[in-house]
Amino acid sequence: MKEIKADLISKIKASFDNVTEKDYDGNRLDFHVETRIIPQILTYLKVNLGYIHLSHISCVDWLEDGEFEIVYIVWSPEDKLKVFIKTRIDRETGVLPNIDMIWRQANTYERELKEMFGIEVDGLVAADEFLLEDWEGLPPMRRDFDTEAYADETFWHRPGREDAMDVREAIIERSREEIPDFAKKYSR
Amino acid sequence: MREKATTLYIGPQHPGITGNMMVRLKIEGDTIVKATTEVGYLHRAFEKLQEKRNWLQSFTLMCRFCVPETDPMEELYARAVETIEGREVPERAKYIRVMVLELARLASFMLWYGGQNGSLGLYTMGQWSVGDRNYILDLFEELTGGRVYHMYIWPGGVRRDLPKGFEQKVLKTMDYLEKRLDDYDDLMFDNAIFKKRTKGVGIVDKETAIEHGVVGPVLRGCGIRSDIRIDDPYEVYDKLDFIVPTQEGADIWARALVRRQEARQSIRIIRQVIDMMPGGPVYNKIPNPQKWTLPKGDAYVRVESVRGEVGLYAASDGGLNPRRIHVRGAAYVHAITLLEDVLVGENIADVSAIMNSLGTCPPEIER
Amino acid sequence: MSFFDLKGTLKPLTALKQFGKKPHTISYPKESIEAAERYRGFHYNDLEECIGCGNCSTICQNKAIDMIKIEGIEGDKGDSGLRPRVDNGRCCWCALCVEVCPTGSLSLTRDYLYVSDDPDTFLFVPGVDNPEGKDNLSFTTSTEQSLNVFNRVPMPELEGMERVKSFAEVVLGYNEEMAREEASRCISCGLCTEVCPDHMHIPEYINAIATGNDEDAVRIIYDNNPLPEMCGKVCTRRCEDVCAIAVRGEAVAIRWLKRYATETAMTSDITKEIVNPEIKEPNGYKVSIVGAGPSGLTAGYYLALRGYDVTIYEANAKAGGMTMYGIPKYRFPIDSLDKQIEYIEKIGVKIKYNTKVGKDISFEKLYKESDAVFMGVGFPQPWTLGIDGEDAKGSMQAVNFLHMVNSGEKVDIGKKVAVIGGGNVAIDAARVSARLGAEVTILYRRRVQDMPADWEEIEGAEQEGIDIVPQTIPVKIHTDDKGKVKAIEYLMAEMVPDEKGGRPKPVAIEGSNKIMEVDSVMGAIGQQGDYSFLEGEYAEKIQVERGRFVVNENQQTTDPKVYAGGDAVNRTADAISAIADGFRACKAIDATLAGKKS
Repeated sequence: MKEIKADLISKIKASFDNVTEKDYDGNRLDFHVETRIIPQILTYLKVNLGYIHLSHISCVDWLEDGEFEIVYIVWSPEDKLKVFIKTRIDRETGVLPNIDMIWRQANTYERELKEMFGIEVDGLVAADEFLLEDWEGLPPMRRDFDTEAYADETFWHRPGREDAMDVREAIIERSREEIPDFAKKYSR
Repeated sequence: MREKATTLYIGPQHPGITGNMMVRLKIEGDTIVKATTEVGYLHRAFEKLQEKRNWLQSFTLMCRFCVPETDPMEELYARAVETIEGREVPERAKYIRVMVLELARLASFMLWYGGQNGSLGLYTMGQWSVGDRNYILDLFEELTGGRVYHMYIWPGGVRRDLPKGFEQKVLKTMDYLEKRLDDYDDLMFDNAIFKKRTKGVGIVDKETAIEHGVVGPVLRGCGIRSDIRIDDPYEVYDKLDFIVPTQEGADIWARALVRRQEARQSIRIIRQVIDMMPGGPVYNKIPNPQKWTLPKGDAYVRVESVRGEVGLYAASDGGLNPRRIHVRGAAYVHAITLLEDVLVGENIADVSAIMNSLGTCPPEIER
Repeated sequence: MSFFDLKGTLKPLTALKQFGKKPHTISYPKESIEAAERYRGFHYNDLEECIGCGNCSTICQNKAIDMIKIEGIEGDKGDSGLRPRVDNGRCCWCALCVEVCPTGSLSLTRDYLYVSDDPDTFLFVPGVDNPEGKDNLSFTTSTEQSLNVFNRVPMPELEGMERVKSFAEVVLGYNEEMAREEASRCISCGLCTEVCPDHMHIPEYINAIATGNDEDAVRIIYDNNPLPEMCGKVCTRRCEDVCAIAVRGEAVAIRWLKRYATETAMTSDITKEIVNPEIKEPNGYKVSIVGAGPSGLTAGYYLALRGYDVTIYEANAKAGGMTMYGIPKYRFPIDSLDKQIEYIEKIGVKIKYNTKVGKDISFEKLYKESDAVFMGVGFPQPWTLGIDGEDAKGSMQAVNFLHMVNSGEKVDIGKKVAVIGGGNVAIDAARVSARLGAEVTILYRRRVQDMPADWEEIEGAEQEGIDIVPQTIPVKIHTDDKGKVKAIEYLMAEMVPDEKGGRPKPVAIEGSNKIMEVDSVMGAIGQQGDYSFLEGEYAEKIQVERGRFVVNENQQTTDPKVYAGGDAVNRTADAISAIADGFRACKAIDATLAGKKS
């Protein structure tokens, strides 16, 4: 496994610039790459190196960094190695290159990225709506989308539960404890 | 004479026994010229909800991703968490997990027997296999306290040890089911109708399979020997002896034969696991769930379910809640782009059978 | 394949052989299926065992569990008085509520059928709506299975015989990793805050420690306790008695966690920097405080923050009261106390040392010069044993002994010491004597389990080789011809059950006299107040009843301008109650005086 990984790292680094790798225990290897070379590197992996299976495409919203991290996971049945290709794009202006000509199912993933995160995919041909219908406003998988507020607006609460009490508050009230505001964020 | 094209909607009310989704077909006569899948009837936003729940609470949602086969999802979540945290799992728990996973596969095969035949109008099979599936659910009820949603495999191991005498009950049920599988053969694989309706229908060849990222029985049905349990072994699969069957036909018939053999392999695995199971604890206790944080990091883990590779990508930001949980369902790749391509040129009467054969599971697509 | 498939046509007909077979199904309702032993059906809650901590409600990811008030269940110390109610329209029967229930009162039953003609009935109070559920439990959680962490992170300590060689601190304190781990055991219910006399914000500061925000923890702690390091070391910690985890396991080490947090602020300057309290502009009011014990220091600190001109008059050379002179230094090192006193002085509290009110300055002068007076004078006078030979050389009071040792004086106690009593003072005197090289025996009139001292202290004493002889009643101190203690004579006692239902009483067995040769005898059977500093009209105006000042709920004595707190007021005789008194008095004084101004 060590040789396979070393070989792969040298091959990738010889063909692409600005690639940093991160090794993990077991059969996993990560590459952090620039967004624009995603189609090239995936094609290279699939065609030249035997990473014929696209396992997954995922996205993590790093709201505090203002970025989305897109993760492509490919698998080689020969090397028995999972390779993660990771790239980061700007949350507001970032555009992702389309890769559905390399793997057809990427089309579905890209539709979902577009709908759930609002990520623009350059050259994607697909129906607009995927899981949602007539959705307006913030794409729902973004970190700043407030599910609870949405549920409160959209649905209603069955009556009869208004008498619920908070244990901590009940005790505070009974013992007349005076709790400062800055401490409250540590309450349950 | 070229016939006028019409549009036909199949679904969204359970086309076959797959779950709620719709396929919009453009047909000429009874031949499909274009197929478009429409999903969105089962979107419950579990992955979003999990971001709002802590690492333990999120576990209870996992089983709901795919109703017929809940345990692979629990296994995925547990293993993702364990990978990120570096948590050890006791040896006994690993064996129990494999037993549960294979029981789940078996139960899911039973449901598929019913679905695949039902979609062709052969209803007796469904009566039998779903009835027999209940014996597996009885085992689950005794082991986990739930029949369908088990919530049993969780981070650190499994929730409870086997009840007394459980192994014997499992073995007894296995003996029974093994005999029943032979009865099924008479009714299904030796049935002229089934043969005629499935041979040469719903072809997925090798090239298409690789281009679409196809997995599981569909991939093995076109001659590619690929199984996560062998290729990327987890728990104790590397210590077990079993066969990964393949077929060359690439049609519904071939895939059915693969599943028929796999069901028998599951029984074989369960017997081995019970034979090899060591003693000891079943659970490496997590800290107080209210204050349980995972280190920053991510993981992608995979399981071989009845539909094929099901994966889960989990990311932790070091906090109390998952940063991201993302399930890769086998059906996600099979039932949208692949289905749309495969259906072209097929007969409308075969749509349900093809959907079943590809392992369509809408709750897994939409999550 | 030929067009007509003979085998394929006939084979399916073998299904006919299934005809005579017993079906899978049963004929309900004539027969019914018993749910499995682990079935996850409706909830059942043992209302007696439940303490209303609300952990079930917190873990429920469906928000299906409410905590509600139920008729007939009153909250008490260690019980919020609330009980869970389940919305079965939301419940998913994951049973995490059962897994996290600290008491084990919540379980699931085998029942899963519920029929009602009202489609809106989903609310279900386990235990109230299904009292019969008790006999039908299925999914329960043992202490091993429970997700609560019942075992405490052990506190590193000096080894028993190593300790007696010096006055080095016995308890070494948690390091960061241990503190995080211990803090993460807390389920944040807050039951502990109610029994804390000072109502410290315990779940909040523990959570701050668990999440790695030690400075926030210190800030939260200083919100109503200016002597937390002292409490972190020697508090009587009644909070831990009611800890939800303690029902089935070891209580969260609340005291040690407080100690950890305050120790991260290593000097008084760092403390000031972290706490960074808001100090109000001087408001022109003057408050005098008698006694720099915990209650006086607390009142002084918070009054100073509120802009009052505070002066504390202390008879001794050092502040701290009993915590300075009564607690041995291996439990509470002098640096620890100095750091806190320094911090309080930095805030602007003036302390006049070696100034005994009634001797060096008259109470009247204080009274007239100040807008309010607070008395935190404590119980300085020990009770005497009342037996023959008590005034012999070598017979002394444990409190006085501790005072002398803590002031650095040399005390000759000889080789063999008998300590009489079973409270913390007795144990302290015994352990200090052991450190001075003596062989020590504790004589206590009841059984060991009746001793009011902390069990940790009793255990510590035993580890250090101190002999505890229970059920003994001293009757005489024998002296030699120089008037020096030679031996102590005592009677053995038997425990006689109290007819009124109180605790059993020790009754001496006649003729069981025993004599033990000793060089010193120390009495430690309690202390009392000394109010001689109140002269003339003040002695009349400020009422004392059964040895304690009469105060209202605001710590105000019968003279509206005078407030009192600490041992001279409350019956609990511990530092945290004194701190609570001081804090309450501060608020009352502030309310009264600030009210006057506007």
